[in-house]
Amino acid sequence: MTVMSVPRPAWAPPRSARALRLEFKRNAVPYVLPLLAAVFYFDTLRTADGFPPVWTLRASAITNHMLFEFSVFAAGLGAWAGSREGRRKTVDLVAATPRAPWARRSIALAGALCWMLLAFLAGVAVLYIQTALQATWGGPPLWPVFAGAAGVTVVTVLGFTAGVLFPGRFTAPLVAIGVVLLNQVGFREALNVTGTGGASILPSPPTSATYALLSPANSPPLLDGGVYYHLAPDVSIVQVMFMGGIAVALFGVLGLMPGLRELGSAGGLRSLRAVFTRGDGWLSRAVAVLLVGCGVAASGTAFALAGTGQVDTVTGGWEIPALHSAASDQPVPAAPDCTFSSGFQVCVHPAFGFYLHNVATALDLVAAQIAGLPGAPVRAQEVASVSGGQDVQSGISGNPPVFEFTAERVGTLFGEFYGYDPVVWPEEFQQGLLEAFLTGPSQYAGSAPNLLDPAQLAVADVLLTAAGSQPMHASNSGQPALKSGLATEIFAAAQRFARLSASARHAWLATHLTALRAGQITLAQIP
Amino acid sequence: MNVTLTDIHRSFGKNKAVDGVSLQLGTGVFGLLGPNGAGKTSMLRMLATVLPPSSGEIALFGRDPRGTAARREIRRRLGYLPQSLGYYPSFTVVEFVEYFALLKEMPSAAVPKAVAAAVERVDLGAKAKAKLRTLSGGMLRRVGIAQAIVNDPGLLLLDEPTAGLDPEQRVHFRSLMRSLGESGTVIVSTHLVEDVGAACSEVALMSGGKIVFRGTAQDLTARGEGHGVGDAPLERGYSAVLAEARS
Repeated sequence: MTVMSVPRPAWAPPRSARALRLEFKRNAVPYVLPLLAAVFYFDTLRTADGFPPVWTLRASAITNHMLFEFSVFAAGLGAWAGSREGRRKTVDLVAATPRAPWARRSIALAGALCWMLLAFLAGVAVLYIQTALQATWGGPPLWPVFAGAAGVTVVTVLGFTAGVLFPGRFTAPLVAIGVVLLNQVGFREALNVTGTGGASILPSPPTSATYALLSPANSPPLLDGGVYYHLAPDVSIVQVMFMGGIAVALFGVLGLMPGLRELGSAGGLRSLRAVFTRGDGWLSRAVAVLLVGCGVAASGTAFALAGTGQVDTVTGGWEIPALHSAASDQPVPAAPDCTFSSGFQVCVHPAFGFYLHNVATALDLVAAQIAGLPGAPVRAQEVASVSGGQDVQSGISGNPPVFEFTAERVGTLFGEFYGYDPVVWPEEFQQGLLEAFLTGPSQYAGSAPNLLDPAQLAVADVLLTAAGSQPMHASNSGQPALKSGLATEIFAAAQRFARLSASARHAWLATHLTALRAGQITLAQIP
Repeated sequence: MNVTLTDIHRSFGKNKAVDGVSLQLGTGVFGLLGPNGAGKTSMLRMLATVLPPSSGEIALFGRDPRGTAARREIRRRLGYLPQSLGYYPSFTVVEFVEYFALLKEMPSAAVPKAVAAAVERVDLGAKAKAKLRTLSGGMLRRVGIAQAIVNDPGLLLLDEPTAGLDPEQRVHFRSLMRSLGESGTVIVSTHLVEDVGAACSEVALMSGGKIVFRGTAQDLTARGEGHGVGDAPLERGYSAVLAEARS
């Protein structure tokens, strides 16, 4: 069949749709998709895989990792598409057609943007499918996806506009490098966004809150963020508004480009007046000016709203008072997952149901060693890591005593997921239980972790060894480092205590537990 | 009249590219000759409505291209092949021509057939699905001609259309120009005087931004009798007129 034999179609798609199909089909994005997929796999997917399968945590990889990778490519490819007419020297050719430059460029932009958003959504789908296969509770959060999509959109439009303004073969790589700097230096380093892994698990003080909150890339949320309380969408709304506003304003600038070019070539205030008062094309110029105005207003409003951000005293997250809904401060109802295999009940939030068996197995062994002693817990219950705006530590409270622990504080939970020895982290739960038991019944809300004195440490080591685990000082216990002499003394005391029979140890503990908890037992007094 | 120019001037800084040209053209093939820097390309760019004149009046199809609506209407009926054809290497021949058919706001349903016809008219049917990056310079020139004629233009502006074409294709193209000139105005800017002699019903010769000769190819040939230099009679006419204009 030659091209002459093309039949006339019964129905033809609109011109814009046909042009978009062409732009989509011949876009440069597919050529870099394999590279983008590789970067996505090695950074985003593997990082997310290192997180526990909790939706909020896994979704944080979208804005913290994925957006960064995609935005660099989106900016470069946007600039490549935007600079096409200048780069390929078709300016005169396309200028002699009746299609308005704005409409023509919009279609070229749409082609690149469609590809980038499709690639982004495909990445989100992979991430969420992987999480869905592992998560035991909850569902996929949508706001990180909206914020990520807004981020990809704004950098694509930014790159495209830069490409139109400065067409050249080096524009795309320069814009991509610029976005890397904007991401890394501008938003993360220069604006002093700090991690949450320091002394407090709560968000950083709002010293640079405006900029920090506008940056989609930030520290991962609490391990149980969005589990006990809804994660308020306030910050995501502000981010989408800010980035969407910039994208809309830049799109308006594209509409004003012919006039601006005229102005640039002629110069002077008279030219400015002439551009804006020219009788023809006023409608498109008015729409473009309106878009610029709306975009700037949206971004400005978002900036102002971000400045009012404050730490939510209930959930520990950020809230924007003007956008905040009290409904998101209400606890999320969920029946805990419990197991009662050997007389010691262990309950975790269903979001952490995936580790219930491991935690219960680990705690059962230690609970058996202290069963019947005064203040020994009869059950273990996982609680929120933030309560009333305060960090929560593990502890034993109530009557009958209950060991309350948090996903965030007990054990180096991240150890397993970051690839450390998977045997170690259940031991951290055991240590957490013994720390709470040997320091006595306590209020679980507080900011200081339980620290053991040398005698308590020696007893804890013996109980852990009896439970089949590593002694506390030999593992990553979170306890302060000991001087070598003291460590030897603790080891000697522990060896003495270990030589006693289980019943003798139990009897000694029953008698001396109160003094041990009060710190009145020395290493020499341990039998 | 499809083209009416009244005292057109165009300057780039102190350089006068077009200096007081007035012209009226109806249907037919009009050849624009002249040495480098004579103002031919500036003239075609003004006629293509991509370069506004510094002063003077242009009317195309009886309408002033300074108005947005009129300019849009004119551009729908315009075909333009610039001297240096830019193209998108990843597009195929058909896609590139289709892209310009869409930019020229042709009815969507008519696009596939018009594209196919334009591609066949420049004898590129066998290369219709080839990517532009794989084509030779002469083939790319023909793609440029195809995009210019895809909308069956009432005014076709061709800047050096036969540059890079082989002799067989040039003969074919001259025939195409004559055919297009029967229903519309074709303005061909060229250095190749044999193209003018073979295809153009009327010729103008530009020098220093002015039209220094206007007439038929025979008139130009006659001006060279006994004067001028060149191998062909038309070339002698061309050089004689230029020499006279410069003296």
